[in-house]
Amino acid sequence: MLNLLKQPFQYERPERPAEESSGTGEKASASKKKKPRAKNASLTLKRMADYLLQYKGRLSAVVAMVVLSSAFSLLGPYLAGRAVDRFLIERDSGFIAFLLLMAIAYALHSLTMWLQSVWMITISQQTVYRMRVQLFNQLHRLPIPYFAKRQQGELMSRVTNDIENVSSSLNSSVIQLLSSVLLLVGTVSVMLSLSPLLTLLTFLIVPLMVYGMKWITNQTGKLFKAQQRNLGDLNGYIEETLSGQRIVKAFSQEQNVIASFRLRNERIRVSGFWAQSISGFIPKLMNALNNLSFAIVAGVGAILALEGEISVGVIIIFAEYARQFTRPLNDLANQWNTLLSAIAGAERVFDVLDEEAECKDEAEASELKEVKGAIDFDNVSFFYGEGAQTLRSVSFQASPGETVALVGPTGAGKTTLIQLLCRFYDASGGRIAIDGNDTRGFTRESLRSHMAFVLQDPFLFEGTVRDNIRYGRLDATDEEIERAASLANAHSFITRLRGGYDAQLKLDGSGISQGQKQLLAIARAILADPSILVLDEATSSIDTVTEIKIQEALQRLMKGRTSFVIAHRLNTIQQADKIVVLQDGALTEIGSHEELLEKKGFYSKLFNGQLDSSVLSGAHS
Amino acid sequence: MRTMFSFLQKYRLATSVALLLMLTELTVELFQPFIISKIIDKGIGADNLTVVLQWGGVLLGCSALAFVVGIISSFYASHVSQSFGYDVRDRLYEKVQSFSFANFNRFPESSLITRLTNDVMQLQNTVFMGLRIMLRAPLLVIGSVVMAFIVHPKLALFLAAGIPFLGMFLVWVLRKGERLFRSVQQQLDGVNGVMQQNLSGMRLIRVFVRMKHEAARFSMSSERLMEKTVAAMRLTETTMPIILLVMNTCILAVLWFGHFELDRSGASVGEVVAIVNYAMRTTGALSILSMIIVNFSRARASAQRVEEVLKTDIDLLDTEDSDTEAKLSAGDVTFEGVSFRYPDTGEHVLEAITFEAKAGDTVAIMGATGSGKTSLMQLIPRLYDLDEGTIRIDGIDNRLLKLTQLRGQIGYVPQDIMLFTGTVADNIRWGKEDATQEEIVHAAKLAQIHDTIMKLPQQYETVVGQKGVNLSGGQKQRLTIARALVRMPVILLLDDSTSALDVQTEARLLTALKQMHCTTFLITQKISTTISADTILLLDDGRLLAQGTHEQLLRNSDLYRRIYESQFGKEGVSHA
Repeated sequence: MLNLLKQPFQYERPERPAEESSGTGEKASASKKKKPRAKNASLTLKRMADYLLQYKGRLSAVVAMVVLSSAFSLLGPYLAGRAVDRFLIERDSGFIAFLLLMAIAYALHSLTMWLQSVWMITISQQTVYRMRVQLFNQLHRLPIPYFAKRQQGELMSRVTNDIENVSSSLNSSVIQLLSSVLLLVGTVSVMLSLSPLLTLLTFLIVPLMVYGMKWITNQTGKLFKAQQRNLGDLNGYIEETLSGQRIVKAFSQEQNVIASFRLRNERIRVSGFWAQSISGFIPKLMNALNNLSFAIVAGVGAILALEGEISVGVIIIFAEYARQFTRPLNDLANQWNTLLSAIAGAERVFDVLDEEAECKDEAEASELKEVKGAIDFDNVSFFYGEGAQTLRSVSFQASPGETVALVGPTGAGKTTLIQLLCRFYDASGGRIAIDGNDTRGFTRESLRSHMAFVLQDPFLFEGTVRDNIRYGRLDATDEEIERAASLANAHSFITRLRGGYDAQLKLDGSGISQGQKQLLAIARAILADPSILVLDEATSSIDTVTEIKIQEALQRLMKGRTSFVIAHRLNTIQQADKIVVLQDGALTEIGSHEELLEKKGFYSKLFNGQLDSSVLSGAHS
Repeated sequence: MRTMFSFLQKYRLATSVALLLMLTELTVELFQPFIISKIIDKGIGADNLTVVLQWGGVLLGCSALAFVVGIISSFYASHVSQSFGYDVRDRLYEKVQSFSFANFNRFPESSLITRLTNDVMQLQNTVFMGLRIMLRAPLLVIGSVVMAFIVHPKLALFLAAGIPFLGMFLVWVLRKGERLFRSVQQQLDGVNGVMQQNLSGMRLIRVFVRMKHEAARFSMSSERLMEKTVAAMRLTETTMPIILLVMNTCILAVLWFGHFELDRSGASVGEVVAIVNYAMRTTGALSILSMIIVNFSRARASAQRVEEVLKTDIDLLDTEDSDTEAKLSAGDVTFEGVSFRYPDTGEHVLEAITFEAKAGDTVAIMGATGSGKTSLMQLIPRLYDLDEGTIRIDGIDNRLLKLTQLRGQIGYVPQDIMLFTGTVADNIRWGKEDATQEEIVHAAKLAQIHDTIMKLPQQYETVVGQKGVNLSGGQKQRLTIARALVRMPVILLLDDSTSALDVQTEARLLTALKQMHCTTFLITQKISTTISADTILLLDDGRLLAQGTHEQLLRNSDLYRRIYESQFGKEGVSHA
């Protein structure tokens, strides 16, 4: 029992400085290079305000409604008081007219109040919508390596949890902040007119309040941020373990992932506990200060009344006003709290928005229009960050319509070469030219629009088979899609799916095999009808029967296009116009199949090596 | 909703303490007007400074008490709400981990994530708020009404008349709001879904230059979310103006009838004023109540979504008569007339498959795309349950083995490469938590990845996975193989796991695997791999077309011969 009661006091306070450095270490170092960004609340607040200020017209309408509804809310009690005085005590005539007036005032109060919130909802939700879309678009502009460093779920958390946080507070905060300020000004002026001395005394608590609030917000600001960060971390973990569910199950690791989930869950509990407890102090502090000022007013007022300086009535009015004066302050404090958690969310959103985008195409970058397809790799070198070089002065040319096979051991740099071609990365040294012009002189979009890819992992979207193929060319007709599917030999398996072309595909690709995925990816590339074609190990896991057909389709597709193929199938390589052998980041051999065989280098060993291990042993046994 | 309350049971004590503290605070606050009246009547009225000071002191004492109590209650309330959130998340995650794949199909991944984070947060905040103010508002309403009846029953009736109407109105808002907020959460799932797809398909979207298309899709989805949110909030924001309107009408009625009552039944002006005052107080309390209700309707929508997950029936469990002691020893695998279809689909993907694999054998599975190779493999660790037939491992039906026992001794390398955020060593250790450094290195060497690892910046301590360094497809593939090998499995399943490897690396890997002495199933398209297998299973459209050794199939199976020819040309066959 006693232990149970002690429970709330057994949370270990998270070490703030330590957490700050460990949690954001990666982020901090990542963003250090960027323009110096004052990570403080007021700046974030100003940016949020900028968003709202875009709706100047509607925002002023809201402000007008807030002013009116505040006025009506003060008018209501006043009219009620007047009614009592004039018609119940004095028994004046015209009671009905006065009641009608009151009814109108009350109705207008409700109306303005309704309008202010309805309009504000639209503004705030549109702001949130804009932020969300902006964040989304920014993600599409970030360089690919940015994603390699981050967990998907953590990024997801920014688009959902953090924005949600901003959303819920924008709604209420703006109106409440405004009406609180208005009420504050109203009551203070009335108080001053009644008794300047007592007003001054009431103000005694203001420094205390400011100091207290400062202390609390100081604590909670960091705690809220820690909480959002922990939530992001948890999100990342959930996302990863859910998409890796097949492995979790197959390795029966459920208990272990649950245990590490618990660890992260506990971190949220601890940071959440402190953030919530301390922010819970705010209304209590306000109340206490409120009571204190109440006591001061009552005490000093009583002494003044004893001396005959003021009347008892003034004390009563004042006591009431002192309460009225702190209530908006109380509201302000409460709103401040919501605002803090919104700021924490907004800051994490702005973090992403401030990341440097990939697509800062050079200022003089032009649109790449006509493409013949001559590609020139000129002394191209590349290294990831501070890592070892993955490409070393690679030079070769591909003429328009040529098929180039890239051959080499795993990790030799074949994929990197392709990624440089489509400018996921830019070469660290040398240049890649298309029809004689440096690719960096063109916008990435226009460059890529002339290429089609069949990537290592054929990614399919949630949606129908048809939509997935249509991704190659968005304005393709259904007939064109089916023709592309037939060319890719995907048509027959698609028609066997339940729903045919309208069969729904899941994000994880369940329900269709890896090979079928690749057929769809090929259909997609066929539909795109590009000048430059890139096949990245695409044919490796398609079964042989289908592959023969694929080979035909690809031959047809490659005709007239410059194609780069990373393949392990020797017959694909054999038919290439040019074979480029990469070893450890360097180009070691180049030429046609026959030329390379004569060289008796790596390629011929590779070629014969495979024959050794399969055909010959098969023949012997 | 009831399930949610049951989560609070555990914190009964802390909850009652929090509520008690809140009531204490409330009492102290209500006591204040009484003290003030004392100061005025006995102090100022009687010209007595000591009484003023005495009661002033009591007033300050009360404030201090309220403050301390309030602070303590803040701790209790957040302890309850945070622990509640922790427990709900924990139970949810545990439940999700016990899901079968059929269960998973019912909930999109993004929806599960939203439920685990967003929805639980919503609930947790409601609990916190509930403990702090939920009782307060209704108590104030009831208190005010009761007091009004004591003052003047007849006039109080006019005040009370509005309350049932508002009560009904609030219940209506609660119901409707719940529905609207549920659709908000649903649409939020939709937005998250698009987002997630975009994050995982980022490369593809880049190379196909489809950003505009995706942006349009996302903004459409977000727009729908915006509309739904606006609709839900508009509803909840009408509550306050309506409460005000009704209560103000009550005040007008009290004034109007009070006016007559003054003459008729001798109500005093003070009584009318008092009732007007109580009406105003009730209005204030009701406005808090409406805020609570808005929150509550949101929370109820979230509670339903959480409960939906918690109440899902798990359809793949240890059977009751499963033998807790049974272990895999040798690794004989037999399929007897196995038929299988994916849950909720019509056609069988496997039909009447029968074969036998002896311990230590290498079984190659071949077949066209979609012929059922992966499905067959997934049945061995019982990732799915079969429709007909039996799979026996060492003579025991695999449904009678405990899942942890069964899966614990199988090494599985799936087709799609999945690494977790963590170091290289962590990822390999996934296969066996207590693996020593030597075992990890040994597994890496077998998987032909050791040399590559040693070239990484921090070798085995290099971070890989979603947050980690770039590894090529082949490197990742070998890492997943090392993960399966480290547990020294009795049965090893390789689902086309060498597709991204070049011929040489693959050959070295297959030679290394021979040392493992485990029953190995491997899906492959390469004849070079099948030649050395003990048994080859040739699948076509869910049926076992042929089985046997390379030579047997070359003689007996047309399809196999055709595949062989396609890979090695006619001459290869003529050699044979």
